[in-house]
Amino acid sequence: MDVVMPQLGETVKQGTVAVWRKKVGDRVEKDEPLFEVSTDKVETDIPAPAAGVLSAILVPEGETVPVGTRLAVIEVAGEVRSAPSAAAPATPVATGAAPPPAPAARPAPPFRREEGGPRLSPVVRRLLDEHHLDPAAVTGTGADGRITRDDVLAHVARTQREATPAAGDATVVPMNRIRRLTAERTARSVAVSPHVLQAVEVDFSAVDAARRASADAWKSSEGFSLTYLPFVARAVCEAIGEFPHVNASVRGESLLVHPHVNLGVAVDLGFEGLVVPVVKHAQRRTLGELARELRALAEKARRRALSPDDLAGGTYTLSNSGPFGTLLTAPIIQQPQVAILSTDGVRKRPVVVEGPDGDAVVVHPVGVLAQCFDHRAFDGAYSAAFLKRVREILERRDWSAELT
Amino acid sequence: MPTDIDQTTRLALYRRQVEIRVLEKRAYDLFLQNLVKGTSHLSLGQEAVAAGFAVAMRADDYTFCTYRGHAHTLARGAPMLGVLGELMGRSAGLMGGKGGSMHLTSVEHGAMGSYAIVGAHLPVAAGAAWSAQYRGTGQVAVCFFGDGTTNIGAFHEALNLAAVWKLPVVFVCENNQYMEYTPIQSVTAVEHPAADRARAYGLDPVLIDGNDADVVYRAAREAIARARGGGGPSLVEAETYRYSGHSRADPGAYRPPGELEAWTKKDPLALYRRRLLDLGFAESALADVERAVERAVDEATEGARASPPSPLDVIEKDVWADGGSAWRN
Amino acid sequence: MAQLTYREAAAAGIAQEMARDERVVFLGEDVAAAGGVFKATGGLLQRFGAKRVRDTPISEQAIIGAAMGAAMTGLIPIAEIMFSDFLAVCWDMIANQIAKTRYMTAGQVSLPLVIRTANGSGARFGAQHSQSVESWAMAVPGLKVVAPSTPADVKGLLAAAVRDPDPVLFFEHKGLYATQGEVPDGEHVDRLGTARVLRTGSDVTVVALAAMVPRALQAAERLEKEDGISATVVDLRSLVPLDTQTLLAETSRTGRLYTVEENPRLCGWGAEIAAIAAEECFYDLDGPIVRITTPHVPLPAADALEDATVPTVERIVETIRRTAG
Repeated sequence: MDVVMPQLGETVKQGTVAVWRKKVGDRVEKDEPLFEVSTDKVETDIPAPAAGVLSAILVPEGETVPVGTRLAVIEVAGEVRSAPSAAAPATPVATGAAPPPAPAARPAPPFRREEGGPRLSPVVRRLLDEHHLDPAAVTGTGADGRITRDDVLAHVARTQREATPAAGDATVVPMNRIRRLTAERTARSVAVSPHVLQAVEVDFSAVDAARRASADAWKSSEGFSLTYLPFVARAVCEAIGEFPHVNASVRGESLLVHPHVNLGVAVDLGFEGLVVPVVKHAQRRTLGELARELRALAEKARRRALSPDDLAGGTYTLSNSGPFGTLLTAPIIQQPQVAILSTDGVRKRPVVVEGPDGDAVVVHPVGVLAQCFDHRAFDGAYSAAFLKRVREILERRDWSAELT
Repeated sequence: MPTDIDQTTRLALYRRQVEIRVLEKRAYDLFLQNLVKGTSHLSLGQEAVAAGFAVAMRADDYTFCTYRGHAHTLARGAPMLGVLGELMGRSAGLMGGKGGSMHLTSVEHGAMGSYAIVGAHLPVAAGAAWSAQYRGTGQVAVCFFGDGTTNIGAFHEALNLAAVWKLPVVFVCENNQYMEYTPIQSVTAVEHPAADRARAYGLDPVLIDGNDADVVYRAAREAIARARGGGGPSLVEAETYRYSGHSRADPGAYRPPGELEAWTKKDPLALYRRRLLDLGFAESALADVERAVERAVDEATEGARASPPSPLDVIEKDVWADGGSAWRN
Repeated sequence: MAQLTYREAAAAGIAQEMARDERVVFLGEDVAAAGGVFKATGGLLQRFGAKRVRDTPISEQAIIGAAMGAAMTGLIPIAEIMFSDFLAVCWDMIANQIAKTRYMTAGQVSLPLVIRTANGSGARFGAQHSQSVESWAMAVPGLKVVAPSTPADVKGLLAAAVRDPDPVLFFEHKGLYATQGEVPDGEHVDRLGTARVLRTGSDVTVVALAAMVPRALQAAERLEKEDGISATVVDLRSLVPLDTQTLLAETSRTGRLYTVEENPRLCGWGAEIAAIAAEECFYDLDGPIVRITTPHVPLPAADALEDATVPTVERIVETIRRTAG
């Protein structure tokens, strides 16, 4: 015989077990006081529903549970023994001519507590975790007192208002899915990988010369302008050929060096998030192919049309803040990769060049390339040598030959 | 000897048959070396049907055939390297290893596919013929199938539709006497599984010796001309015999003793070679053809062996016309 | 905007595409002279002639096979299978041949074709003429699957299906043929693979298809009025390609997902959608995902039985009311 939380009033939905009057194993008589319940309206003794032995107490003193929750089991002489588990109530299912499909046919199970805590939905767990809240602190307004997402958000908004009266007019902006993923991944990456930043200054005159020379032809045949990014991508792919550990993942105590360069490129979605589509087998692509592919992926990203495949499998990443004219960015590594390169703003600067007649100051387009690498994978000398090679390729290559 | 077939055509008929014979034997050798996996259905003994029709067809006509389709695909001019490469699952294969032996296709040669579910391609061939009729191009669809196909519903649906719509399609039953392992006569209500059904669709019964390339060629020429001229479909039953079992896994042990030997006496290649010599072709000219074919098959074999396996990235390609396989955004 | 019935919109969509492109041809049983058993193709024979609008024998394999053969050789056929239940008769042609040929031939063969068929219950035709079988098609790689709920979508999505280079199974709902709605004047072409948010609410997201869409909308109105539950209703419109971005965004927004399906319970499209939501927006879910479906039984014929088997407005309301808290 189950003992359940009684409904002590029309509007009462839950009650707290204040005191158990019997211990497990005690003999109880029918109508003998068994436990005391307190609600926000009353405190009252509840009599035993049957005579027998109190074989289990399922809800300890002090706990608040919804009406109908099993609280204890009385073993009645002659009754078939049932395990005192927290099984669903054995309400018979009415079968009509056209029963709605399960689980619709069953009444919603009463809200139960497990291991002393309430049952929480995934979003509620996440929100409680993000705001470092104890579920007990949040008042549930859902069915049977369940804590809903709105309950947590309301609680957070209220406590923030109370905690920062001066900022009472602050707007609460819930993070979208991409924001949350980015938050989680960047935090994890920084925790996992010891990041080291190294930067080199690159003279983009050679790149710029080729870019200008073919600007009109390129624009008219391709329909978009050629940026610095594909040149950097091409140089990185080539340099990786000589410094393959840059294109790797840490697995346990080994470095997994990848045979292909799958080049991720971070794309901003109009300040609404960041995605990193991947150019597969980038090392096989010509400069022109890289330019087209990068352009296509960025377009696809902005149309929100990237497929999961487009985002998978990256082995090295470029982060391009250059268009905003940044001086230097320390990017965060995309796990499980071991390095990431930021291309920052290219600006005209006075540069000293050595000529046969001595040094001269000329104006050249110059920009910084900054790589963050995972110190577990290799050391600063390796990274620096890689960056040096990237710079050499960008500065010395006859790029015009690659665009014809 | 009748002179309605010119010398060039006769040499082409011979060459096609030799090509099929040598390549099918090679395919079998490659099974034994475990270089061809999966199943394969050979046309050894049935070469005259494929050769006789292919030589009678126009370059833009359509061939539809079954999983026993190496012969027909090759006969339309598909490259040997592509055929052997496909059997071996190499990137040089006609479909880069995605179709395999049972689905050889080379659209640029008019080989519109090998269909591995019995009967399925008869309605498809009717559809291609309908398209040719609609577009007024004069193209004809030729659809090859086995005797076993005459007992499946799609055969009857396609014959009826083609007859009602007067479609330019020639249905060719290669009666090789066995549906798979079972003699066709033991599971069919009529003696000639295709020819005896022709009247049901208002067509004339055509029953020919499928081991004589000249006979096949004449029947093909006539049926194709009728189709091209707006006279509607034909149903040709060509009697022949397959030397090997139904597929790679079948030794053909169910055949009564002596049957195979009796048919090899009517071997289409031996018969045709003899006829060409009788007609005054030089022994050296025929030997040249044979040597050239051997060399071509050797080269194709080497090419296929040297070809790398298909790259794994083809797995998710070509489900859709955009080249990919995405089912979601 | 013209006021058209769902069946008139089907004819209008076919006519629009046949007028645009000579390669578009139309075939099926009783479609030409008789104008279709659901009267959805009336007038096409008169307008486009017997060469382009063709009556066929009762030969579903021949209809679909011929459409395939024509599509691979330069035409754009629209084939009608009278009842979607009959797809089982020609499933070899669809699932083995049409769906796989481009892939098996490494892209050599293109099959731009549309298979239109009347799907769903409501006509009291019993278990072999009332099924919703769109989930069959969804399970086969290589097929696009569309099921419109309004006359405008019938025309616009049919036009998009005809213009799509891949095979499309187009499920018209026979219970909706008599319904009316506004259809844009002039050429109307929609986009495959796009769901439509018909109503925006904050508490629950209800995803429905075809005839379940108007029921989901009515249920949402009642929940708003009677229970204060604010529901988003998404018309899926297309199962393949599937607009998962809209689905996930709308599910994440409310934290609750309900699917309303006319097909029997096991392996219906709702199961796939529930799985996608569980995998990809689990931490936004504020309660179990609930599928509202026809029970796992063949459909009975009698009106009272059929009505009680397929999800009703009442059942949608009652299920959401009971589980949304």
